[in-house]
Order: sequence, then C-alpha cells, then structure tokens
Amino acid sequence: MIQFLHVSKIYAPNTVALKDINLQIAEGELVFLAGPSGAGKTTLLKLLFREEEPSNGQIIIHGKDVTKLNSRGVARLRQKMGLVFQEFKFLPHMTALDNVALAALVTGVPRQESYTKAYQLLRDLGLREKYDAKPPALSGGEQQRVAIARALMNDPMVVLADEPTGNLDANLADETMLLFGKIRERGTTIIIASHNLDLSQRYGTRVISLQEGCLVDDLSPLKEGGSR
Amino acid sequence: MKGSQVGLVGRRVCSGLWARHWTHVLTAGTMAIALFVFGALMLAQENLQSLLTGWGDQIQINTYLDKGLGAGEVSLLRDKIQSFPEVERVRHISREQAWKDFRVALGAHSNVLEGLPEDVLPASFEIFVKPAYRDGPIVEALANRLRKEKGLATVEYPQEWVDRLSLLVLALQWAKWVLGGILFIAVFFIVRSTVGLAILAQKDEIEVMQLVGATEELIQAPFVVEGLIQGFIGAGLSVLGLWFLVLFLRDQTLTSIGLFGSLGQLQFIDWRSIALILALGSLLGASGSVFSLRRFMKRWKG
Repeated sequence: MIQFLHVSKIYAPNTVALKDINLQIAEGELVFLAGPSGAGKTTLLKLLFREEEPSNGQIIIHGKDVTKLNSRGVARLRQKMGLVFQEFKFLPHMTALDNVALAALVTGVPRQESYTKAYQLLRDLGLREKYDAKPPALSGGEQQRVAIARALMNDPMVVLADEPTGNLDANLADETMLLFGKIRERGTTIIIASHNLDLSQRYGTRVISLQEGCLVDDLSPLKEGGSR
Repeated sequence: MKGSQVGLVGRRVCSGLWARHWTHVLTAGTMAIALFVFGALMLAQENLQSLLTGWGDQIQINTYLDKGLGAGEVSLLRDKIQSFPEVERVRHISREQAWKDFRVALGAHSNVLEGLPEDVLPASFEIFVKPAYRDGPIVEALANRLRKEKGLATVEYPQEWVDRLSLLVLALQWAKWVLGGILFIAVFFIVRSTVGLAILAQKDEIEVMQLVGATEELIQAPFVVEGLIQGFIGAGLSVLGLWFLVLFLRDQTLTSIGLFGSLGQLQFIDWRSIALILALGSLLGASGSVFSLRRFMKRWKG
C-alpha cells in the first residue's frame, strides 16, 4: 500500500509542484498518472523514490514513511523499486547485460547469480540476441525493454515508470504496456506517469489526473461513480 | 560490503584508473614532488642526527699544541693529561701524521694540497674520555681545565658542535613539518580538484548507481581507493627519488672530504620514515577524495 498524506512540494522560491495530495494505491494496482507537462507527475514519482523530499506531508510505502529515511534507507528503498525513465538512464559504455545486472550487483547479489538472472530477463523480454550490445546500438523499443529488465532485476514491490512510451511508436508502446500488464500479474504495483491517456483508456486502468500540482481526478474502472 | 560489491568496486577502480590515467599520473607526480621535499628534509635531519649521535658517543677532545713545544714537553704534557681521572687515553698526532691523515681524508682531491708546506697543520692530542664521564657538563669542565694548561694552544670538543648542530636538527625538523605542511595542503587541494573532475566525468554513472539503489559507500569507495592508490604511488615514487638522491650524494664531495666518511656513509631514511611517507601519501590521496566526494554528493543528494 502506498499512501500520500497531505503531500506538498514547493520549489524555491514559490513554485508549487504539488499541493496537498492525498491518495492511496493498493498493492498490485496499475495506475496512470495523467496530466499536461508541469502538472506534477514526475515530481510525484520523484517523491516516491526519494529523489525529492516533500515540503509537507507524509509518504507511506508498505507502512514506512519514506520522508524520514536516511541515505542508507533511501538506497534500500530504491533496491525494492524498479525505475523506468523516458531517457532510460543507462551506462553507455556497458552492455545491456551489464546494465541490467548492475541493479542486483549493487545490492550484493553474487555476480554469477546477477548475470544469470539478467540474461534470463533479457531473454524473456525478447533480447536474447542483443544482450551483449551496448545501449546506443539498440533501438528505442529494445532500450525500453532493457530498462524494464533492469527494473525487474530485484523483484520489486513497486515499478515506477516516467513516460515509458514517450519515445516509442504505437506498436512498441502497446508492447511495453503488455509487458507492464504481465509484471502486474506478479502482484507488483505499477505507477506510470504518462500524458498518453489513450493507453490508459485502452488498458482500463485507474487514472489519477494532476493539474498545476493538484489532484483533480481519480478515475478507477472499479470505483463507483467513476466516469468510465 | 559483500563479495559482489567488492568486485564491483574493484572493477570501477580499474576502469577509473585506466580511463583517467594521465590525470592520475600527473596527480601522483605532484604528490611525489611534495613528498620528496618532505623526505629530503627528513633525510637531512636523520643523517645529521646520526652524525651528532656518533660524535656525541665518542666524546673526544682535540687539543692543538703550541708550535714551539719540544718532544720532552709534549711527552710530559701527555702524561699529565693521561693522569686526569676522566681521561681514558691520549693519542698524540704529530704534524707529519696530521698531514698524512688529511691527505688520506681528501682522497682523490688531495692534489689541492700541492705546494703547501707539510708542517702547515699543528700537532695535537686526541683525548678520549672514559664512558662514565661522557656527559656534557663533565666534558665541558675537563675542556676548561685543559684550556688552562700551558702548551695547549686550542681545546675543542665535539659537544660544542653537537649542541650547535642540534639546533640545526631542530630547525630541520620544524622546516620538514612547516614546509611539508604547506606542500601537503597544496597537494590536498590538487587531489580534491582532480577527484572533483573525475566525479563530474562520472556524474551520469553515479546518478544511475544511485537510482538502482547503490549505497553512498558503494558509490564513493572507488574514488577513495583510486585516491589511496594514487597517493601510495606518489609516495613510492618520492621514496625512489630519495634513494637515487642518496646514491648521487654518496658519490659526491661530502663523502670524499670525509664529512660523512669518517662517521659512516650517508644513510638512507629508515623503514619507519618510509612507512610514514607511504602513509602520508595514501592519506593525502584518500582524504582529498573523501572531501571532494562529500562536496559533490551533498550537492547531488537524491
């Protein structure tokens, strides 16, 4: 369970990125964060993996207030999360396999075990032939799958994805969404920030809409009174 | 830190050393120069100290005789001095012997004496003090008593020089730490800046590591180890430089005129001083890295 309790984020001097956000996300949910650029979607994700700290409020993940974590606690939190970014954030001089295995190596998983699992994930995601390639040599869709493989390395409880389909064509975007659907089936909570409402409508997921830092809508296909 | 994390640090250290080898060479070279200056002062201090200890241990008084003394008077004077309770033995060095000894001490450079009369050096007594009396004030009192003896032109004893040169040793000791300290501070800032550049060059890598959950220790360790290795290599080079300096000086005039030759060869710094230089180098490298990391990581704190 993820809870936002009266969370605000104000950047100096007076830029309000998020204003008094209250929401709950259950375990195993697939949630879309929607809204135009500057609505606060990325800031909300950054608060979740503690790249940013809220100005006010509490963020509880699985019973722990992440706003109170020290640097070691932040590292442990991130080890339990899978992060997928629009710009991927790979180490370009390392192979796809190295990039994926890195997520486990930093947690202390033995090298052999890390690389075996990284290879399995890349194989499962259809990159059996490309594991040895360096990220710049991969297509956008392939890079996206490498990023997802890396996000899954530590069997995360939560996957956070910021515009994961932003650089992909329609087919690859669908493919990526199918992958997220499969990951969700394992019981992993997935939060996707995207301005592509079309995808969320097609996959019938909960959509949390933000505008100018405020939560303006929370539409769930299961929620009574929802507009869907 | 677990095995795979240690391996990860090791690989990052190797790739960092390889990727920025020129920066490391230049920084290690700068450290080597600073530590060489420090080591050279240490070398001078240690040698002067052992020279003084050697002189002090001998506690030998030199008395130069009046020119007009006959053989009988010299013999009587010698017997009188020998009877002093503090005196172990007295050795008479005639003018001829003094000339021969001086020629031998000059070795290959003895030709500078060509044309000088062989009786230019005065005859003297070397007075050896009994071990029980080898103490500054006692030797001084004996020297003063000898000064009152007729037939003795000059009385010298090394303790006077020991006392004066001790001040020089003290000055060297201070110079070593003051000059060394200034150089270390300069080197510290150089290391801090080079590590800062390395951190900036790896900003993306650090960010990725932070995002996948690497702890601060894991991210910082390779930089600290790189600094440590850099410092150790710089210190090693400075020790090597000092060794070559000693070899060079042993072949030079200091030895040939007998300043060190009579009291043993110019000595290399002992293992404790070598360990100190290596430790200082490693510490400088590692601390420069730590301070640089602290500055940057605070700025990038996720």
